[in-house]
Amino acid sequence: MTPRRIALRAAQVVIAAAAVALAGGFTARTHQRIMTGRPNLAVTTCTHCHLRSAFKLPWQKPRPHHDSPGGIAVSPDGRTLYIALDDKDEVAEADSATLAVIRMARVPGGPFGLALDAQGKRLFVACPQQDRVAVLDTRDLAEVASIGVGVRPTDVVYCQTRDGERLVVPNSGSDDISILTLSPLAELARVAAGREPYAAAVLDGGRRVAVANRMATHDQMLTAPASEVTVLDPASSRVLDRLALDSAHLAEGIAAVPGKGWVLNSMVRVRNLVPITQVKDGWVMASGLAISRADGQVTQVPLDEANAYFPDPSGIVASPDGRRAFVASGGSDVVTVVDLDRLGSWLAGSSAADRDDAILDMALSCRYVVARIPTGCDPRHLALSPDGRRLYVAERLDDSVLVVDTASLKPLGRIVLGDGGRDDPIRQGERVFTRARYTFQGGFSCRSCHPDGHVDGLSYDFDGSGVGDNLLANRSLCGVAGTEPFKWNGKNPTLQFQDGPRFARVLMRTDPIPDPQLDELATFLVNLPPTRTMPWSQVGKGLTPAQQSGRALFFATKRTDGTPIPRALRCQTCHRPPLYTNRLISSVGTQSPRDPKEGFDTPHLIGVGAVGPYLHDGRAKTLEEIWTVYQHDDLHGVSSYWSKEQLNDLVEFLKTL
Amino acid sequence: MKPHRSPLGLALLGLTAALSLPPGTWAADRADLARPEPAPLPFPLVARFENFGEKDGLPSHKIHCVLKASDGRLWLGTGNGLCVRGADGRFRRYGPEDGLSHPAVLSIAEDPRTGDLWIATMRGLSRLSGGRFTSFTQTDSGLPNNVVYGVAVVDGTVWAATPAGAGAYNIREKSWKIYDHNNAPMEEPWCYAIAPGRDVVYIGVWAGGIVEHDPRLGSFKAYRDPDGDFQFQLTPDSGPIADITSWVAYDDGILWQATYFGLSRYDTQEATWRTWVQDKTPLVSNFINSVFARGHVAWVSTDRGACVTDGTTWATYAVDEQGRGLVRIDRPGGAPETRRMATRLADGFVTAIWADDHEAWFATSNGLSHAVFANQAAVAANP
Repeated sequence: MTPRRIALRAAQVVIAAAAVALAGGFTARTHQRIMTGRPNLAVTTCTHCHLRSAFKLPWQKPRPHHDSPGGIAVSPDGRTLYIALDDKDEVAEADSATLAVIRMARVPGGPFGLALDAQGKRLFVACPQQDRVAVLDTRDLAEVASIGVGVRPTDVVYCQTRDGERLVVPNSGSDDISILTLSPLAELARVAAGREPYAAAVLDGGRRVAVANRMATHDQMLTAPASEVTVLDPASSRVLDRLALDSAHLAEGIAAVPGKGWVLNSMVRVRNLVPITQVKDGWVMASGLAISRADGQVTQVPLDEANAYFPDPSGIVASPDGRRAFVASGGSDVVTVVDLDRLGSWLAGSSAADRDDAILDMALSCRYVVARIPTGCDPRHLALSPDGRRLYVAERLDDSVLVVDTASLKPLGRIVLGDGGRDDPIRQGERVFTRARYTFQGGFSCRSCHPDGHVDGLSYDFDGSGVGDNLLANRSLCGVAGTEPFKWNGKNPTLQFQDGPRFARVLMRTDPIPDPQLDELATFLVNLPPTRTMPWSQVGKGLTPAQQSGRALFFATKRTDGTPIPRALRCQTCHRPPLYTNRLISSVGTQSPRDPKEGFDTPHLIGVGAVGPYLHDGRAKTLEEIWTVYQHDDLHGVSSYWSKEQLNDLVEFLKTL
Repeated sequence: MKPHRSPLGLALLGLTAALSLPPGTWAADRADLARPEPAPLPFPLVARFENFGEKDGLPSHKIHCVLKASDGRLWLGTGNGLCVRGADGRFRRYGPEDGLSHPAVLSIAEDPRTGDLWIATMRGLSRLSGGRFTSFTQTDSGLPNNVVYGVAVVDGTVWAATPAGAGAYNIREKSWKIYDHNNAPMEEPWCYAIAPGRDVVYIGVWAGGIVEHDPRLGSFKAYRDPDGDFQFQLTPDSGPIADITSWVAYDDGILWQATYFGLSRYDTQEATWRTWVQDKTPLVSNFINSVFARGHVAWVSTDRGACVTDGTTWATYAVDEQGRGLVRIDRPGGAPETRRMATRLADGFVTAIWADDHEAWFATSNGLSHAVFANQAAVAANP
């Protein structure tokens, strides 16, 4: 073959290939424009709608499980520790003298919160992954009973009341609290809590129980959020009080202070309505302690110091003599020791105005913080021995429990549960996620806004100019795999991009996370499974008639009267299964005067029932409000033909995703 | 705890009706008062009324509903907020500034499991728990309509009677169902009242009589006026007296229906009906705002006073044209006994009643009345 012929043949091939490509491209683009109902759609890829399988996502695949310690319970004689290992579906029994694990018990359902009865004969285990409380006989660690409670119970406390024994169980996923009787084991009542009730403490010898609600609630945009402390009578199941921790969230630790009548909450003072550019001024988050006194007064005081932060305060315990409190700070790997007598003296001598502003005064903590005890990675749950001489610290990401002498505040040793998962990139990524070292002065971590990878329910002022209120609702990271691009404007194609240098400049205000750690962080994030919103008892069961009706509405192509719904205005077009997003920018008529563009990233709907408030700025406090208040000209799907019953059904369906 | 109230609409509608008895309706004289006391009544008799108005701290003279909660506190739904009477006898008001969804409170119910109060208002449903209000409206929840006339808590479900149907909120699942003319035997969706029955729920429906719903089976049964005529009672004692139901109440197997055209009683075990209209029976007025059931006794709130009856014996409390309190007792087979009382109801237009064996509270369009019970001899001794 001559060179000329070869060149001619090559040209033919190129032309043919170009023709095929052009024809294919034209066909594909025409197809895309038809199927999205967007005649002006720019070039996009087939994967926005096709080649996506939820079953192939990272969080669907097997992953290593670790001996991450959760709740700790100490026997009345102080000799035995019980440690919940939620990731392994096990409860460990350890000897407090030898610090050795003696026995393991298998407890399905992600055992997380623990409590013992007064004699230490029964161990109660809150299992958030199966919405139940298991009862174990401590003689052989055999499960002898189980009872279903609300969604995702994260703690359990035992108390003796005038009407008998009670268990109080905060159900973090259903925003309520189960009150159980033990003879027989039954649910006496389920009372409404704040948002995400997380931990409980027994007060006054069982006359009251206080429950910390981790997430804040806020009724309207541009109003300060508040976390609730729900105080109830476990005997009568009556809610006695709902204390408000103003501007607080991540209030996931709670302790009663003997002799003082105080309830202590670990908390984060969040200033989400302040422009995020103020991060560098320490104005977005501060870690603190809320003291609720018997008269109902609540005072917030800082745990941070000027230019030194101890973020993500979590577990908290008070000594039996009421003189000291210990607070685990997961973001900085320390336990802060608070002298409660000194704190009490300051409270007694302070004015109301001083107490109101106390959380803002970083110089104040030196008056009552007497020590910072270094720990392993991500200290979360704490427990004290009955005599108060030993402090046990669950080092969650090191698979160990640190034992501290409370007199000397020196470590006595560790109960080693696992190897820490150093070879597991997911675990490494979780360490990046929980550590605050990557933010300005270590002021906060990823977890500060995304507890357990989820959402904190707040909208933050991300106005780059630092002067306006351009709110953007926080978005859950659970089930985020495969939903790129990220950010409400859809500009970040990967998690590495999302959490990379630009993010460091805008939010973290410090050096970017190094690339290896950034990759580990992304690995952790894509392995976060979606948040389960359905009760465990309904998982795997078919949809209810209402949910079926809602599903039909979601996938409707015609109105009730038979009129076709334009393809671009069908729910399923933009919120396309399996992730319920086509990963394109959509305009649904929600642009506010301060939004630079009318289009926003189409959010996925997996776990949507638990991620409110809704819309890009969090203006819709419920799913219903998306269509009853903030729908304009049927731009967010054709909803004008829906009846109230149909809207209710649609919401019920959405809550199953 | 049973809910009870009178719809605000009814209150406004009937406000111009008789505020006292027509002249000559009853006549009390010394001879009546001196009459020997016959056999005891099957229900408590009111010895005297203690009245409260705005001068006593009530936020409004219009009281729409009254409930004594299980903790002993008295709750009032008024035209200007929710009100609670403290142990010191003072009234404290809660309004929208406290989180209540609207100041016009039409009905109150207590969740027997948790003690939470559910408050029906003219703009949404509020829950009061631990001193804090949480509100549900038709735009931010599955509530069928913002105007909530009646509310009841039945086995973990909050029922809200609205003009757009009966809404059922499952407290645990946090899900709503709506029952209206599309999925229940109602002529139209307008619902006024909910009454918890034995394993069933009774829905008082405007123009639809009474709808009985079994939540376990998902079934419905409608009780309708057999003659279909609300002006005339053509077939007495054979079914609801009218399809225009203004309130329903149930206790101990007895269902009571309040209408604008008389009163009905249904014995759910015997499956028998009794009906009463004014003029032909001791019922003081056909215009009935609400009915409260306790045991086999009904406390009936009308535009001309209040009646207490077990279906055979009646005691009626009213205000005569001179503004004096009267009580009339009707016994089976006997002549009516009319007595003058030393005290009187705060107003003849009674909107709702709450009662137990020791006391009763009357909500009226012009204040609140506390009824103190006494034995009949004590009542007769009153001048």
